[in-house]
Amino acid sequence: MLRRSIYFAMLASAASVGFAVDAPRISEVIVEPAEIVLTDADQSVQFLVTLKMSDGTLRDGTRQAEYAIQLAEGSGAPESVAAVEHGRLVPKGDGAVMVVTTVTDPVSGKKAGASAKATVQNFAVERELHFVNDIEPILTKTGCNAGGCHGKQSGQNGFKLSLFAFEPKFDYDALVNEAHGRRVFPASPEESLLLKKSTGATVHGGGSRFDEKSESYKLLARWIAQGVPYGDEKAPTVARIEVLPRERLLAGVGEQQLRVIAHFTDGAAHDVTRQAEYKAQQPDILKVEPTGLVTTLGHTGEGAVMVRYMGQVDVARVAVPFSRGLPESAYAQFEPKNFVDNLVAEKWRKLGIAPSAVCSDAEFLRRASLDAIGTLPTPEETQKFLADTAPDKRDRLIDSLLERNEYASYWANQWGDLLRVKRGGNNELKAGTFAFSGWLRNAFAQNMPYDQFVRAILTAQGESAENPPINWYRHVRNTVAMVNDTSQLFMGTRISCANCHNHPYERITQDDYWGFGAFFGRLSFKRGLGNEQAVIVKKDGGVNQPRTGQSMKPKGLGGPEYEYVRGEDPRQKLADWLTEPGNPYFAKAIVNRTWAHFMGVGLVEAVDDMRVTNPPSNPQLLDALAKDFTDYRYDLKHLVATIMKSRAYSLSSEPTEFNKTDRQNYARYTPKRLSAETLLDAIGNVTGTQEKFAGLPLGTRAIDLPDESVPSYFLKVFGRSMRESACECERSYAPNLSQILHLMNSPEVQDKIASDKGRLAAMLKDKKPDDQILTEFYLRAFGRTPKPDELKDATAMLASAKDRKSALEDFEWMFLNSKEFLFNH
Amino acid sequence: MKIDIHSGAYRCCDGIKRRSFLRTGALMLGGLSLAGLLRRQAMAAAAGQAKKDISVILFWQGGGPSQLDMWDLKPDAPSEFRGSFNPINTNLDGLQVCEHMPRIAKVCDKLTLLRSVTHGDAGHESATHTLLTGYKPTNDIPANEAPSYGSVVAKEMGPRVDGFPAYVTVPTAPKSSAAAYLGVAYNPFETQGDPNAENFSVQNLKIPGGLTLDRLENRRAVLKHFDTLRRDIDGSGLISGMDTFAQQAYEIVTSPKVQTAFDISKEDAKTRDMYGRTTWGQNTLLARRLIESGVRFVTVNVGGWDTHANNFEELKNKKLPQYDQAFAALIEDLAQRGQLDSTLVLSWGEFGRTPRINKDAGRDHWSNVFSVAMAGGGLKKGFVLGESDARAEFPKERPVSPQDVLSTMYHLLGINQAKEYMNEAQRPSPILNYGEPIKEIIA
Repeated sequence: MLRRSIYFAMLASAASVGFAVDAPRISEVIVEPAEIVLTDADQSVQFLVTLKMSDGTLRDGTRQAEYAIQLAEGSGAPESVAAVEHGRLVPKGDGAVMVVTTVTDPVSGKKAGASAKATVQNFAVERELHFVNDIEPILTKTGCNAGGCHGKQSGQNGFKLSLFAFEPKFDYDALVNEAHGRRVFPASPEESLLLKKSTGATVHGGGSRFDEKSESYKLLARWIAQGVPYGDEKAPTVARIEVLPRERLLAGVGEQQLRVIAHFTDGAAHDVTRQAEYKAQQPDILKVEPTGLVTTLGHTGEGAVMVRYMGQVDVARVAVPFSRGLPESAYAQFEPKNFVDNLVAEKWRKLGIAPSAVCSDAEFLRRASLDAIGTLPTPEETQKFLADTAPDKRDRLIDSLLERNEYASYWANQWGDLLRVKRGGNNELKAGTFAFSGWLRNAFAQNMPYDQFVRAILTAQGESAENPPINWYRHVRNTVAMVNDTSQLFMGTRISCANCHNHPYERITQDDYWGFGAFFGRLSFKRGLGNEQAVIVKKDGGVNQPRTGQSMKPKGLGGPEYEYVRGEDPRQKLADWLTEPGNPYFAKAIVNRTWAHFMGVGLVEAVDDMRVTNPPSNPQLLDALAKDFTDYRYDLKHLVATIMKSRAYSLSSEPTEFNKTDRQNYARYTPKRLSAETLLDAIGNVTGTQEKFAGLPLGTRAIDLPDESVPSYFLKVFGRSMRESACECERSYAPNLSQILHLMNSPEVQDKIASDKGRLAAMLKDKKPDDQILTEFYLRAFGRTPKPDELKDATAMLASAKDRKSALEDFEWMFLNSKEFLFNH
Repeated sequence: MKIDIHSGAYRCCDGIKRRSFLRTGALMLGGLSLAGLLRRQAMAAAAGQAKKDISVILFWQGGGPSQLDMWDLKPDAPSEFRGSFNPINTNLDGLQVCEHMPRIAKVCDKLTLLRSVTHGDAGHESATHTLLTGYKPTNDIPANEAPSYGSVVAKEMGPRVDGFPAYVTVPTAPKSSAAAYLGVAYNPFETQGDPNAENFSVQNLKIPGGLTLDRLENRRAVLKHFDTLRRDIDGSGLISGMDTFAQQAYEIVTSPKVQTAFDISKEDAKTRDMYGRTTWGQNTLLARRLIESGVRFVTVNVGGWDTHANNFEELKNKKLPQYDQAFAALIEDLAQRGQLDSTLVLSWGEFGRTPRINKDAGRDHWSNVFSVAMAGGGLKKGFVLGESDARAEFPKERPVSPQDVLSTMYHLLGINQAKEYMNEAQRPSPILNYGEPIKEIIA
């Protein structure tokens, strides 16, 4: 035992000061690529030297390695064939060489190595540069066509480029034909405005982007000297890019060279490490140089580097473990219940964190009730649950919660935010919002399979009274809104930027966007019964891409292209594509949303911003949840139960030494403040009073409100969503002074406490003793019985009070203002 | 954790969903050279100076007010640029402003006007973030990454008089007004409502009927004893933020002085008329009352300047009359009360508007040059800095970054801008990572 605690202490200190107690040695050196063929003088290749260590970890040795060049065949000086600069092989002349890489083990001083073969061809042949493949990447990497500069819609200072080079012909015209040809000047390339501005030789608002010695300058100058060729329009283009390594664990202060390969449409692959752009997604944990060198900054956690080249993106994930592997005993108490648990635990082991203990039964009941049905458990439920001794009582509780009416109300309320069930103060829309929220409640009550749910909304048509989901189209009225909301809500991805230009952080083009828009091309609105709106589908019609004017065929992102068929509603095809089991977006989007609801943090954050460059924190778990959900035919209750029945969901929120700094790996429960509606209902529940909302029957619960326009100061200051967007972020959980003033000092809360129809009044009338009254409030507000010392102190305080009723009111106020009440924990 | 967005009272053309993109190219003011670093360190050393008892009123003109139609008219520019407004003389020799700001024309001798502010970011959300925090957003999420300067001032200086909230927005907070990693306790208090309305009061400041101070005191004692939830279960700062608000709330509720400050009905009718019986006018007056009584930083949220269409009608009939009266009244009132030197007034939006008028008689986003009006707090009185070119498209001389403006503010307040706070990732982040005080405008 003593031994183990010493071990733990050493681990903790090792992690904090950042050196290894027992430094591992190099057991193997791996050089990638092992074989290189450079077919022209402009190519180069970034080596990746990976050190396999004796403890099984991998380290980057690219910068510390020594590179020696030996002639592989023929005769002459090896230096005249190739050289290695910072781990990058650059050609110097035709020939074949071996690159021998040597790394010295810092502990043993021994040398280890590996070698690669490199062949250089056509070095002396001057290649005609290609505008799209050679020049555009420079304009992108040096920031010329960024959104803040010449890439913005109005251009900059009379010079406009397409954003991130998504329209090469436009850019070519801007460079070569506009401004009276002053931008490029083949007779004397160095006099070209393009070069003079970029180097700062002529006044340039964007300053100096590169100097005369840079490769960018040389390449641009050569292109101009060649007479500014556009190049073959049918030349292969970049089909995808690949970054290596994709995932790596690093030390607190460590480095990792990245290598980026562009795969072309003709199957060729070229190293574009120097041409690609890099962006650190978590600039606090790591930084990345334009050369692709990643450096960690001494903090633990996870980060990612986005890589972009020619409209293609990829991402490399980097993690700095919290500690260097904890002993198995740190996980001994954690008994996995389902696949969720195995997958979260795998991640903990990787990052060197360990879970908190399992929470108490009382905590679990309150937590599960609030999370699943937005409702506090009653004292009777709590007592019954605590008395139950069956080992499966938590699972049975979950099953029963999902059958409650409040389950439907609570989830309809949350979906009402996202589906914009709103009337914006216009009472003429009331019939529609009431019908739609009623439809939502019904859908959740019946556990409508999620694919049917989405299809019903997306393909809604007709009159509101017959088909309430048409009200979604009340605030989603044009193609752009339809595409944006559909993708954000049901695909968990935001593509609105591709409306005007290719998505800068995703492989989504403007054509993709408008192909998606074509699904909605036949939608039309007319005035329906009363003042309602009706949605109709025209027999014909379509959508044009606004930039090219081309008429678009309906096409899901990465999906097949459909032909318009007269009389058919293309939205059915959209629903078909979206809900088929292989769809890459559909299931992941909803499981991530649901996971975030229960676990406090999404596997992808923000929950509706899933993209290649914003990877999930635990991809295996996201995939497994999505597969399970699909296998169970999009059964939402099954999904909820899978999450809630996991051991991970039942962990205590109290941190331990081994998880206190982590907030995204589910090693403990993430506390949440009760949402505005849940909290208002909870106050009613504790005080035994009913809220009166304008125009609705007394006692209507906040989670049952039909739309956002039912006035409530309480809901406003506690952050209800005004349903102006499809973003979950519109609902706020942040505390503010107005909330506290309201809880502490409002006539509304005081009236509820002192109400003669309230809970306290009733108990006083029944002549309940102090301890019973207190216990009732403990059970109501905190979902637990008072601890003996709490009861002792409270009854003593009450006994000494001058006015018993006032004193009890003061206690009731305490319950409403306690963090234990305000938070789900 | 869920992201808090402050839904401002006004919306811009692209709604609240707009994603702000990283603008990799817009680094022209962003680089920090070694010389800059040394300057910053020197400034940090020099800034050992004591804080000054100065308060701040920020007029946040969300949406982006038109420089060409307010402060920087170009009567000689071609008609597709100059617009339909005429310049008028002001009481500052050589300065002309728009004819629809006649009251402001009479207080220009008390203002400092910057006509060459520039930053090159024409997106609402990202520019708002930069202009309200001094930090360009690094992530393409619409979150409040860095603390607003209202929060910084609140944290650094606290309220001017104990018991008051340090940072208030009237009526609501614009996006990017929150405290980010300084902690939710430094988020602004929103007065809500319309002080121009008949029975306006800020909710829940007075102890409700049937209760007494003693009762409230007793309740707090009970709460302190029984509210035992472990605070460290929450890594996001929500719980500790609530504790701080509870302390503040208690101080406010127990102070008649605070109650009075928020009660605009205590102001005499003549003064209320002077500010204009409009929402903006009365909000401005409320701001003055709060500053005078003890609040340190007040944001007056005067939004809706995103005039893509009907710029001239909109300005002439709606925005400028209210703004002119409220802003001029504030300057005049502060001067008369001898509070102008102890109150820094700053009026700007996230950018200006395109010099070329669009097909809808509107002007679009323009961040290459725009104007900023300032007054008091130790600035020169009656001073114009910088100049834009012939069409108000770019700075002609003395370009100034928003960070320079903020650096000037911190300098006047005696706040050391190099002081570092730990951000979300426990990485030290200075209050301002670049920008220098504009020496020419400091009295």
